[in-house]
Amino acid sequence: MSVTTESGPITGTWKSKEELLGCVILTDWILLVVLFAVLLGSYHIHYMLLAGDWDFWIDFKDRRMWPTVAPIVAMCFAAAAQAFFWTRLRLPFGATTVTLALLVGEWINRYDNFWGWTFFPINLVFPSALIPMGLWLDIVLMLSGSWLVTALVGSMGWGLLFYPINWPVLAQYHQAAEVDGVLLTLADLIGFNYVRTGTPEYIRMVERGTLRTFGKDVVPVAAFFSSFISMLVYFWWWKMGIWFSTTSYLENEEI
Amino acid sequence: MKSTILSAMTTGWAARALRVVAFGAVAVAAAVPAATTAEAHGERSQQAFLRMRTMNWYDVKWSKTELSINDEMELTGKVHVFSGWPQAVANPGEAFLNVGEPGPVLIRKGAFVGGVPVPRTFSMEVGKDYEYKILLKARRQGRYHVHVQINVKDGGPIVGPGQWITIKGDMKDFTNPVTLLDGGTIDLESYGINWTYTYHFAWMAIGAVWVIYWFLTKGIIVRYWWVKAGKADELIGPSEKRIGGVALAAMLLAVLVTYGATNKEFPRTLPMQAGLLTGIEPIDLPDPTVKLHFMGGQYTVPGRELTIKYHVTNNGNEPVKVGEWTAAGLRFLNPDVFTTKPEFPDYLLADRGLSVSDPTPIAPGETRELTLHIQDARFDIERLSDLAYDTDSQFGGLLFFFTPSGKRIGVEVGGPLIPKFQAGATL
Repeated sequence: MSVTTESGPITGTWKSKEELLGCVILTDWILLVVLFAVLLGSYHIHYMLLAGDWDFWIDFKDRRMWPTVAPIVAMCFAAAAQAFFWTRLRLPFGATTVTLALLVGEWINRYDNFWGWTFFPINLVFPSALIPMGLWLDIVLMLSGSWLVTALVGSMGWGLLFYPINWPVLAQYHQAAEVDGVLLTLADLIGFNYVRTGTPEYIRMVERGTLRTFGKDVVPVAAFFSSFISMLVYFWWWKMGIWFSTTSYLENEEI
Repeated sequence: MKSTILSAMTTGWAARALRVVAFGAVAVAAAVPAATTAEAHGERSQQAFLRMRTMNWYDVKWSKTELSINDEMELTGKVHVFSGWPQAVANPGEAFLNVGEPGPVLIRKGAFVGGVPVPRTFSMEVGKDYEYKILLKARRQGRYHVHVQINVKDGGPIVGPGQWITIKGDMKDFTNPVTLLDGGTIDLESYGINWTYTYHFAWMAIGAVWVIYWFLTKGIIVRYWWVKAGKADELIGPSEKRIGGVALAAMLLAVLVTYGATNKEFPRTLPMQAGLLTGIEPIDLPDPTVKLHFMGGQYTVPGRELTIKYHVTNNGNEPVKVGEWTAAGLRFLNPDVFTTKPEFPDYLLADRGLSVSDPTPIAPGETRELTLHIQDARFDIERLSDLAYDTDSQFGGLLFFFTPSGKRIGVEVGGPLIPKFQAGATL
């Protein structure tokens, strides 16, 4: 870490520049770990509450609702984290950090709880991939230096990238099988085979809605819609991030 | 000095600490015997009127109760959808045949209603009877309580009778072979999992590298000082943007390559299959030859006794006797009719739980007033006596009559109950 050449508020508190450097590096690592843990916990709760079953189960990951809902609700923390890391620290990793934190938390949850406690196979419960979307959003902000451009261009890519980056894992489970004369994909079959007492089939929302004009090309329409809503969410949550990372002090006279 | 220490122990901080330790020890000691393994699925917690007046389960059979890993068994039976379906619960226009078990310890290889495969949601009609079959395959070793269950949209799960199933062996030997439409065979238990791990963790590693790289260039605190000093723009210069551009290009290329390779590897994929299955035929049952007219009922809470009075008319050509009353998965048998105990989970079978005011057979063409007494601790243990406290204190169930030739006639019964909270109360 190239701190030694930087200027900082060195006062008489430290005996040497080396001591200051050591303190800064240690504090940096503590901050990084704490921030990562806080973002992991809060983003995980947020995402599980809002994306929920769409992210839990393979047989909920359809072509319409999942690519619509998941990016929109995932955008909240990505925008807020960017606002903090970019405006306060000029660090281009806000969205990547939160998506990484979320996925670390999700994988711990899926492995320990879903597989370890209740024996659901991982191919039923793996989470949605989000890291490339985080990288995209961070790099757009870094290259443009503008949160407005990021809200427009970054959010568009955020929504559009979601399905393609998940398809390499998902495609294998969209192979077809015939079971007792009924056509099912492997995703349907996994959901049927591995009994979920509290998750009946009818709560899935597989391609429900009235948008039928585009035939089988459901994903692009859903992705564009998701992108547009993600733009709005980005604006809102960027402001939330700014507000949340602002420290206000009261004057003595006001106390 | 001694008295000072003693005094502190009885009145001061030491006494408080002792009390806390003692309280904790008592709490732990009290909790340990009560902390048993969670074995049920909350079936008793559902309201009594809901369980009695929605799905009336009968002829439920578990083909095996002991299996080895990979063994298969059948869970079969019939269900009568109660005509007086409670207003508080949505009708079963969308229902799903499910299994109540603690996680997928047995997997569901097949499910049929009326002979039709039902991997999806299907429609049921009130007042009709349906035959179901669930094929189960043992997956995890242990002893589990396995129920049939029907989930009703906007109504919730309605749990049928459960049986203890013992599975021996080791889960690591479990396989779930599936033949794909193109003829290939895979093991669904593990299919694609290694690739899923690889793909996800590779991207997470890339994300971690990105985060750590920027963290290691000036960290957090120094960057904060720079931003505060108005030098934020100097932190992201042309060289940093060049790195960002290269990373962006590499990331997009990776997405394109993996997406293209996936489409090449799996050229034929289908969307998930969903939609309501309608038109499943109920069991074609003839109209019952026994007609019942409900005359009133009561539940005596202290005696755990349900008493119901009927005018019974036998329109058949054989005499009939009341043999069984079933509700909420429980069976109450008349020992005059059931001389041997049928095979059924003991906790749900009251083999002497039903008696009638007049045990002689009802002759063809005869109408008789009959009072049925249903009395067994199971009524209370399974919390059907809570009916007295429900918002809709109407009971429901099926009454089975038997002829000398062995014919069984099932009749739906139900009506309002008056709870009696004092012993000795009579209808």
